[in-house]
Amino acid sequence: MKNKSIYISVALIIIAASCTKSYLNRPSLNGPTLDNYYTNQEQVEGATALLYNQVWYNWLDKAFHCIGEVYGGNMITSAGDPNYGNNTYVYFTVQGTDGQDLNAWQAFYKVAGNATVLMNTLQQIRSDANASFIDPAIAEAQFIRGVAYFFIARTYGDAPIVTDPVALASSGNLNVPRYIQKDVLRFALNDMQAAEDGLPEDPYQQGRVTKYSAAGMAAKIYLYMGNLDSAAIKANEVIQSGKYSLYPDYAAMFTTAKANNNSESLFALQWIAGGYSYANDIQAYAGPASLLKPDFGTGYSSVIPTLDLLNAYDPGDKRKGWSVMQQGYTNANWKNSNFPNGFTYDTSVGGVADDATHVTTGTRSNSLKYINGPADNGGNNPDPTSAFGDALNVYILRYADVLLIYAEGVLGDNASTTDAGALNAFNLVHTRAGLPPVTSLTKDMILHERRVEFAFEGDYWYDIQRQGFVKAQQIINSQERGTLNGNGTISSVHANFASESQLYLPIPSDEVVADPELAKPAVPYY
Amino acid sequence: MIKLLKPGFTCFFLFALFQISFAQTKTITGLVSDDKGNMLQGATVTLKNSKTATITDANGKFTLSVPGNTQTVVVSYIGMVSQEIAVTGQSTIVVTLQSTGSQLNDVVVIGYGTIRRANVTSAISSVKEADIKNLPVAGVDQMLQGKVPGVTVTSNSGQPGGGVNVLVRGITSLNNNQPLYVIDGVPIHASTNGGGMDYLGGVNGQTEQSPLATLNPSDIVSIDILKDASAQAIYGKDGGNGVILITTKHGTNGGKLEYDVYFGQQEIQNKLPAMNLQQYAQYFNSVLMDPTSGVQDTIGEFKHPELLGPGTDWQDAVFQTGNIQNHQLSFSGGHDKNSTYYFSANYYDQKGILINTGFKRYSMRMGIDQQVKSWLKAGISTNLSNSDQTVAVTDGQQSVIAAMLYNSPATPVKNFNGDYVNSVPVQNVPFGNGQNPVALAELRDVHAKQSKVYGNLYADIQFTKDLSFKTQFNYDFQFTNNSAFQPNIVNPDGTIILSPSKMRVDKANNLYFGLQNYLTYNHSFQKHALNVVAGHEATFNRYENSQVSVVNLTQNIKSLAAGTPDPASPANGGIYEGSSESYFARINYTYDNKYSLSLSGRADGSSNFGPDKRWGYFPGISAGWTITNENFAKDGKTLTYLKLRFGAGSIGNSNSLGNQVYSTNIRLATNAVGLFGSSSVPGVIANVGNPDLHWESVVTYNAGVDASLFKRIDISLDVYKKITTDMILPTVLPSFAGLDPNPPNLSYQEIEPPVTNAGRMTNTGVDLGITSHNIQNKNFTWNTVLVFSHYKNELNALYAPGITEPGKSQAFAPVTLTITTAGHPVGSFYGYVTDGIYRSQDELAKGPDQGLAIGVQGLWLGDIRYKDMDGDGKITPADQTFIGNPNPKFTYGFTNNFTYKNFDLSIFLQGVSGNKIFNYSRTETESLFSIYSNQLTTVMNRYTAENTNGDLPRYNQYSQNNLKISDRFIEDGSYLRIQNVSLGYNFPVKWINHIKMSSCRIYISGQNLYTFTKYSGYDPELGAFNNNVLTQNIDYGHYPNPRSVTIGANIVF
Repeated sequence: MKNKSIYISVALIIIAASCTKSYLNRPSLNGPTLDNYYTNQEQVEGATALLYNQVWYNWLDKAFHCIGEVYGGNMITSAGDPNYGNNTYVYFTVQGTDGQDLNAWQAFYKVAGNATVLMNTLQQIRSDANASFIDPAIAEAQFIRGVAYFFIARTYGDAPIVTDPVALASSGNLNVPRYIQKDVLRFALNDMQAAEDGLPEDPYQQGRVTKYSAAGMAAKIYLYMGNLDSAAIKANEVIQSGKYSLYPDYAAMFTTAKANNNSESLFALQWIAGGYSYANDIQAYAGPASLLKPDFGTGYSSVIPTLDLLNAYDPGDKRKGWSVMQQGYTNANWKNSNFPNGFTYDTSVGGVADDATHVTTGTRSNSLKYINGPADNGGNNPDPTSAFGDALNVYILRYADVLLIYAEGVLGDNASTTDAGALNAFNLVHTRAGLPPVTSLTKDMILHERRVEFAFEGDYWYDIQRQGFVKAQQIINSQERGTLNGNGTISSVHANFASESQLYLPIPSDEVVADPELAKPAVPYY
Repeated sequence: MIKLLKPGFTCFFLFALFQISFAQTKTITGLVSDDKGNMLQGATVTLKNSKTATITDANGKFTLSVPGNTQTVVVSYIGMVSQEIAVTGQSTIVVTLQSTGSQLNDVVVIGYGTIRRANVTSAISSVKEADIKNLPVAGVDQMLQGKVPGVTVTSNSGQPGGGVNVLVRGITSLNNNQPLYVIDGVPIHASTNGGGMDYLGGVNGQTEQSPLATLNPSDIVSIDILKDASAQAIYGKDGGNGVILITTKHGTNGGKLEYDVYFGQQEIQNKLPAMNLQQYAQYFNSVLMDPTSGVQDTIGEFKHPELLGPGTDWQDAVFQTGNIQNHQLSFSGGHDKNSTYYFSANYYDQKGILINTGFKRYSMRMGIDQQVKSWLKAGISTNLSNSDQTVAVTDGQQSVIAAMLYNSPATPVKNFNGDYVNSVPVQNVPFGNGQNPVALAELRDVHAKQSKVYGNLYADIQFTKDLSFKTQFNYDFQFTNNSAFQPNIVNPDGTIILSPSKMRVDKANNLYFGLQNYLTYNHSFQKHALNVVAGHEATFNRYENSQVSVVNLTQNIKSLAAGTPDPASPANGGIYEGSSESYFARINYTYDNKYSLSLSGRADGSSNFGPDKRWGYFPGISAGWTITNENFAKDGKTLTYLKLRFGAGSIGNSNSLGNQVYSTNIRLATNAVGLFGSSSVPGVIANVGNPDLHWESVVTYNAGVDASLFKRIDISLDVYKKITTDMILPTVLPSFAGLDPNPPNLSYQEIEPPVTNAGRMTNTGVDLGITSHNIQNKNFTWNTVLVFSHYKNELNALYAPGITEPGKSQAFAPVTLTITTAGHPVGSFYGYVTDGIYRSQDELAKGPDQGLAIGVQGLWLGDIRYKDMDGDGKITPADQTFIGNPNPKFTYGFTNNFTYKNFDLSIFLQGVSGNKIFNYSRTETESLFSIYSNQLTTVMNRYTAENTNGDLPRYNQYSQNNLKISDRFIEDGSYLRIQNVSLGYNFPVKWINHIKMSSCRIYISGQNLYTFTKYSGYDPELGAFNNNVLTQNIDYGHYPNPRSVTIGANIVF
């Protein structure tokens, strides 16, 4: 009897100790799950908005300058800066272990991957009831993916294409081949065509891409495909829409967030002042110490204009003063404790290390584009900013580009053209810089115009690269990539562009290790 | 192994059946205890010259029927001297057995109970208080180094309180590998990361702390390490990496006051040969005026190196003499064993050998055990601790040590005004690091503080003499407060040393509760002894954290109140909950002290898995055969003890690498509010959910021998095979897939790939422990302990063929240094194979295409030639291969203890053999890339036109050809270290008893005295970066382990 009661009490204790079934159910307490999200327009718009922002950050951060500008000969990196691949972009000795090579690769594919996952997810939850806000979002994501693959094709040449990362992850076979560059470009173009069909004529929020953003990007892709006629047709589509125009204040486009999403902007990355990965941090690296150090401790002058670029501007080209800081540059809006009456760019001490009010870069200059100045202490600088960065949008496609693509498209394979439409398009850009109109156009004139118009915007290397090996080699190897000595003489440096394979950056070594197929010859995608 | 097992079983059951026999005449009862008064369960009581025998029960009682009147019974017990007792008239006898000095009687903690060493059937190692006492380290994990066969302990950093990598029988998994620590039944789970350094700029470096540094090692009485699954299975949940059971002190009869104290000094073991200013100037000149550079003359003061002084020795500036002190005061006692208590207080303070690093700990422990009723015992134990670690950035490009090594000797630490200096101009060219490493270390103040309360409350009910029930409530509350601060320092001349002032505080609390209820049934009849445990356990934990960052602190006041919120880093935090529930049972059966069998099983449920995959089932079986207890082997003179053990079992791991990864979650991008003027928080897909994710499991097969020779040499040898299946891993995709290529970094801007059961790994190994009592005289004793561990790790499968797990360096641009792929050991170094240096034009012409034009700015004389592994004539990523294994071939510890009269001397050597180190620091200190970085003196013997036989490649500022990840930087990591030598003296009792002391020992001890190694860095003991097995043995600004000399005393009243 006694034993029995003991056993019963023990059994009761054990039963009482057992937990209910829900005890092990602990869903995330910090955010929604996919099952109950993307149910309204605001949530979907929020997701597409991020495709203009953080996913691009690792490219913008430094690879942007390394590839587009340093490789292209518009900028050099300060001596052996490991952040910027040491001097390898200056000397043309970039290898597959380079950090910025990897950063750009990862960023472009991250953009593509995020856009794809969003596209596919939205496709799954699409219904007649939500189509009105799901469909444009899908087109918008597809536009972004197309731009990413356009960058991949022109940076790396032959490259893998992934249309469903989730399926790839679960397939167990990650050995994706490289596809020939022509097909990667075509893949990007197809995305643009689909985006053009699905996007609205006018942006549903200022700065969002439209049908014409897609048409303009398609024009640019055609340029890289060598299909100049189609490039001209698509560019003309944008011109004829009448929805875009050159912005009258060239300098403002790159130095104040007030000009964000202006009449010239077809597609720009959108940044928010403040945090790492959300803000445009270009000025932290490209800006001079005397401008930023007192407030931010940044301003490293890590990338600075080349002497070659400084000499490339025609006399009277106002874009030089709008794009470059040189001795005597002033900006009354930029005030800090050392410059209470406005910033002055002063290299007059020549050769000595920077001090609080002087800056002495190797070419006695800093780029001015995407420099926003210090924080708003006295209400002088109207733009929000922080040590991590500011809200200056970064242009991927602006109307000036469309105009020059049109001119180049019309010129086609001719040695020169006097076509009125082409001249008009070119001269719109050319005369805004305070230069007299031209009456005849050649390929070299357009290439030169593109260099000075888009300097420091991360595009020049690609313009050179699409000229083909012979011409690219001739341009690159003749550039002066050196610096000034203390006495003003030039310590000359030239790149060593020796092999056709250098037209494209190497695929990062890590990727080849992970997917040995990438070391094999490319195959067609279509 | 299995074949051996089968006959063993058969025998065992036959014996069990036939030995149950009956005899009648007279009944005698008795009580058997050891010399300390502990009742002995399982002692054999035999009627002399007959087969009549029985075994004592849990309370040491026995009943034996004997024929006739005068008889002799023999009471025997393993590890005790057998006694013969003549039973004449009496019917009750009391027997006290004396120990033979063997460990076989030691009580081993096995989880939900204890067992005698003699009855252990699986692989369990024990460490006693005396083995680890008085070592000048913060945590008990570090004290286990070289002490336990099969346990590889590596200090990840010399940082006081820093991380310790403990591997029980090799690498079990690619994610967390650290064993489960259970202190008096309380698993220690809380996070031990002290981050925040990256907020001040640069990379975060190594942030892992030792989870045990917050606990006071002096309160520990014993440590039992469950090494194979048959032992661990009862700890099914999360015991796959091994279980370390720590038992703390409880009171005993009488009263005792103890004071332990030591003081010590610490210093760096060796300095690296960095160039001084004269050497640097010579190097500078020779590089500058190299014929290929076209420069005609050198600059400024460097023109005459012979006139220069030695410049700044940055190593002297950054390293300091550390010191350490430890005080431990304890009171313990009890009354009639019915009521015992233990109280202690501890203070530990260590100043590191790197400026502005240290560790401080205060702790207290209280334990009370009370026999409330004859059938009820209850107790409580509470541990309180508070620790404060002052941390420096280590193991990365921006670590103080890395920056120190390549900073120019031309720059002073401070100028004449006492202000820090970043650079000095030499003929208008700035020399020095952009950031002065001494300033960084001294001005930045990074702390990891933890307050912890843990302990338990239990009640033990004895229903019958065989059946008891224990209910135990375990708790662990941990509060962490990590902070990172830097002041705004601008010199009068406007030079910015640090700007702006900022501070981040990251607070977290982790609450853990566990409730265990289990029944224990002990029954002995005749020669059978049975122990059955069955029960239920539930745990719950809740982690909450919040992080706030402010900038522009008024007057550099180190308080959140002095600053304004940092717009770049808005406040954030989160709440994470987890729970588990388990049912478990174990049967231990011993027959006649010859045959033992243990069966266990456990069902575990975890909230980390989706609704259909929550439960995992983990069985274990083991058996032992004590051959020397068989009649045929009983009286061997040589082999005095021999036991064979066999076991197999499986055990689980539910570490699912993130919160609720079974579902697809949305990440709220709180920073990104404001895009396109929107005021709402955008949400993106955070991860790809995997509802099929389930338990990882580890299956172990173990075979062991315990033997004693001449009653003097104890040998324990185990061989094992451990197979980890369904390893929980994030799918590592190449970057081009577009998902996070470095999971699980939980980066806020990546979509995490699915976490899957993706891998299988095998470890095979041998653990050997030998204890020899060489000399045991009245005045002189000498014993030797040898510990040897070997494991071979191989990853058998990883998700799909061809997938690799990369391990990265902490550089500006992380570089893959190791890959982990099927068919190879975990964390293998991977890179190019060097093939000498190009020393002639002819060699240059014949060499493979290295992707660079032949010429001074490309590939030139003095550059490294790499091996073209695939023979395609080009050096491409496909030529990379496995260039070294960071896992040791074996590790060993060798201890000799001597006593002579009142003196004792202990010499402990510890070593590692056959592992490789990637000396990443040399990519800076022998980079020969930037003229402004200081270098080691080794670069003087580089290739130049005059020194064409130089060992190192040429100075090459044009490409990084010579800095590829290659075997150039791989070094042998083997070492033998004089880990500890201590000499003690016990004052004779007659001298001290008039001041009421009962014992007093003073000692002097040297730790880490000398290291025999070929390794060229500071310290070959590197461990794993933040305990990540993918990045083991990478030296990149590593905080070296200090050499210490301590003096101390142990005083008992």
